[in-house]
Amino acid sequence: MTTINIGPIHPSTHGVLRLVAEIDGDTVVRVEPHIGFLHRGVEKLVETRMYMQSPPYMEKLDYVAPMAYDEVYVAAVEKALGVDVKERAMYVRVVLLELQRIASHLLWLGTMANDLGQLFTVFMWAFRDRDMVLRLLEEAAGARMFYVNMRLGGLIRDLPEGFQEKADEVLDYLDKRVKEYEDYLEKNPIFMQRMRGVGILSREDALNLGVTGPVLRGSGVKYDVRKNSPYYVYDKLYFEPQVRNEGDCFARYKVRMLELRSSIRLARMAMEKMPAGDAVGMQIRLILPEAKNRIVTVNRELPRGECFMYLVADPQKPYRLSIRDPSFINLAAFGELAKGARTADLFAILGSLDMVMGGVDR
Amino acid sequence: MKVERQDLTAQIEGIKKGGYDYLVKITAVDYEKYLEVVYILRNTEGSQDTTIEVELDPGDAWVPSIMGFYKGADWYERELYEMFGIEIKGRHVERLLLEKWNGKIAPLRKNFVWNTPYETSD
Repeated sequence: MTTINIGPIHPSTHGVLRLVAEIDGDTVVRVEPHIGFLHRGVEKLVETRMYMQSPPYMEKLDYVAPMAYDEVYVAAVEKALGVDVKERAMYVRVVLLELQRIASHLLWLGTMANDLGQLFTVFMWAFRDRDMVLRLLEEAAGARMFYVNMRLGGLIRDLPEGFQEKADEVLDYLDKRVKEYEDYLEKNPIFMQRMRGVGILSREDALNLGVTGPVLRGSGVKYDVRKNSPYYVYDKLYFEPQVRNEGDCFARYKVRMLELRSSIRLARMAMEKMPAGDAVGMQIRLILPEAKNRIVTVNRELPRGECFMYLVADPQKPYRLSIRDPSFINLAAFGELAKGARTADLFAILGSLDMVMGGVDR
Repeated sequence: MKVERQDLTAQIEGIKKGGYDYLVKITAVDYEKYLEVVYILRNTEGSQDTTIEVELDPGDAWVPSIMGFYKGADWYERELYEMFGIEIKGRHVERLLLEKWNGKIAPLRKNFVWNTPYETSD
């Protein structure tokens, strides 16, 4: 039995994560993730700030899909204050969130392929395509990566003129590209051998361990917050949660590829159905109308899984904000998943969980 | 749903048998007079959530572990111990969750001021 240390700085851990693995020959007996290198105490910091001072902190929790996190927090504040979201703003938010999901999944695809020995080919392609999506988001929100564009009841600004045509062009292009990625990767025997049958998580274990998002759906549990407890206009748009039953790394990969497609469709659908009107929310003010509800809970489907916020509201500040981060709970299951795997497969499994350390450490 | 600490394990067992197969989150809130531990459980088939709250005296803060029912409780319980100083009985904790955290203070309690400096464990 040998103990090996991996990280905290390692290209395949996607951030500062330290793994301590006990191995017997080439088989992993036990692996323990050590976290906390990025811990900033966001939950405590938020308690010291007024409501609308916190969105920038929220965005840094998931730096790959910042807008999605921002939205969860703003939705929690809206619920506490009793602010209604404007009809058009709901559609605009859905479009932007789905674009954000596409950008996030493309980044995952590139880094995952990189971990599995497809050095930089898919990575470069995916980054180029992600940049097209980021450019769209930049046009809509005004920044390339950290947007802070959610306002109470709406957004900082409406979609710019000609956005739909530009977005349609990009989405049509991406539709073709996703097919190309699948062809390239799934006809590659090395990639397939390292994905199929590796890191199997059964349906019972997935529920018991509480994993979420594509990891849960890759194990055959049909649970997607967008479908099961719909928010905004997801109940008016047609889509099905993507589920695979195998529970291995390939299933998780496939779920995300299918989600890329369904996000493209959802963004198109939401743009078509978007009503005319006003989507601009309240300007940022430190003093807001007093919170009506003391305890609110909000859950949302982020690219990485379900984010759940439990907010105890004081009149002008959060009294306590508890965040359930999808990466945190998916990484907690890593120890179980990696048991009995080969040492080299550790990174295939870690990559298929798609965690972001900003959210794990908080 | 408010529950007494001694009934917690029995309650959770009953709820799990009733189809609530998924643990969403364990968290705690410091209301200064008392601590409240919150368990959020979900029925994934019917997509319903239920909340269980346990009130604790800050001087005698411990809860029984629910690892036997939901394995996913592991990291949440460790987080509870580190952030609120709530002891988890009935399970073995080998080390703290966050690297280099000394575990002597409970930072998410209200009596901890956010900009207090602290010493790491080594």
